[in-house]
Amino acid sequence: MNPEEKTGILGWGSYIPRWRLPLADIARVWGFNPKEPEELNVLEKSVPGVDEDSVTMGWEAARNALKRAGIDPGEIGLVWFGTESKPYAVKPSATIIAEALGITPDTMATDWEFACRAASEALRASIGVVASGMVKYALIIGSDTAQANPGDVLEFTASSAATALIVGPREGAAAFFEASYTYVTDTPDFWRRAHAHYPLHGEAFTGEPAYFHHITNAVKGLFERTGLKPDDFDYAIFHQPNGTFPLRVGRMLGFPKEKILPGLVTPYIGNSYNSSALIGLSKVLDEAKPGQRILLAPFGSGAGSDAYSIVVTEEVVHRRERAPKVSDYLQRKQLIDYALYAKYRGLIDRIKG
Amino acid sequence: MVRISIPPTWRTRVDRYRLKATRCRECGRTGYPPSELCRFCGSRNTETVELIDERAKLITWTVIYSAMDGFEERRPVIIGILETLHHKARILAPLTDVLPEELRSGMEMEPVLRRITEEGESGLINYGIAYRPVLKKVEQ
Repeated sequence: MNPEEKTGILGWGSYIPRWRLPLADIARVWGFNPKEPEELNVLEKSVPGVDEDSVTMGWEAARNALKRAGIDPGEIGLVWFGTESKPYAVKPSATIIAEALGITPDTMATDWEFACRAASEALRASIGVVASGMVKYALIIGSDTAQANPGDVLEFTASSAATALIVGPREGAAAFFEASYTYVTDTPDFWRRAHAHYPLHGEAFTGEPAYFHHITNAVKGLFERTGLKPDDFDYAIFHQPNGTFPLRVGRMLGFPKEKILPGLVTPYIGNSYNSSALIGLSKVLDEAKPGQRILLAPFGSGAGSDAYSIVVTEEVVHRRERAPKVSDYLQRKQLIDYALYAKYRGLIDRIKG
Repeated sequence: MVRISIPPTWRTRVDRYRLKATRCRECGRTGYPPSELCRFCGSRNTETVELIDERAKLITWTVIYSAMDGFEERRPVIIGILETLHHKARILAPLTDVLPEELRSGMEMEPVLRRITEEGESGLINYGIAYRPVLKKVEQ
């Protein structure tokens, strides 16, 4: 038995802020082609309120995951927080969430960084720690209030959401892991220097040599390790930087769009970075039937991708009702205009009192 | 600029995050924030309870258009008085994720962790509890 097979997902949960900015408003303000949102297959993006950040969003996602897991928070031995939008550059976010949820002090807690796949690397590492018996339960959180230079094409999709998973022993889990594989290289497709407010990116370079190369190789690596093929999966969830890349990478790997669409959340809220693929998994766990197999392949710039094979168990059915689902957050929305978005995201330069 | 003193912020962090309150074993009432004595009958025979998993009913609220320095981005600031459904504790807290015209007396709200204050762009961030309209009634 490999380490993955000893572990599973006991609880899962997500969070999406209420406020949504229509991408048409970004196109109007910055003079982009009005068809840009349609070409990206993203119509609105989620925007955090002025009192929200990646910690507050991660807290709510983790709280939902805890409700589903039904475990004592004190039994969690590891809180790993994946983000590229930490409220503090130095001071861990993970400790704030761990304290607020009653997990401290008998726990590990730290923040991970690898662009959009920090939480996924944390997830894969937590499988090893839980399988070894070093900790009983692990809390993994992917949360971002993604930044984008105003007027950059990235602004269309950079959005905000959080997803949390509780990893524990396979027995009694809502879904268990079968196998995982990671593929990384030094590929400069997207970066933010230490004191820069916004990230830069390689435009089209973010596609073929970065997103597509790493995801296809991670998934092929998983297939080679396991002997599994696309027909063996009921769902395929890829990192979702826009609404078209996941469908295209799915086609390259032999997955029909019917297996991708249930986990495709980006068209409704944009790219939530560390929550991007994980919120797709969260939505699929809200809907999947016991026995179904899920392919999960997050991606992070810089660059790397992980591929996981996950099988849903009977436990998923009653646990999903213990907390709000992704669809509940998708429905809770209030449209705002670019001016309010600019205020909420701190884009207006002013003398502060 | 809002000034945040480190020691009291640190000392009260768990009380704020978990919404701790004092329940009196003599008169049965629950007071918030927590206190040594029962704020209703003065008894020392009390216990600490957490209200973080409890919904609350909105009693009344005020919409503040003249916000103090450091709160301009949050204007209008909405502050509510709520009563928790189980312990019947009265809580004064900011309301969030809601527009003033959506507020109704008696509406059910739930506590969420939010940024309450921050000391400029370089100082501490003070996290605490705000209330928002209940997202969804789920199995408890």
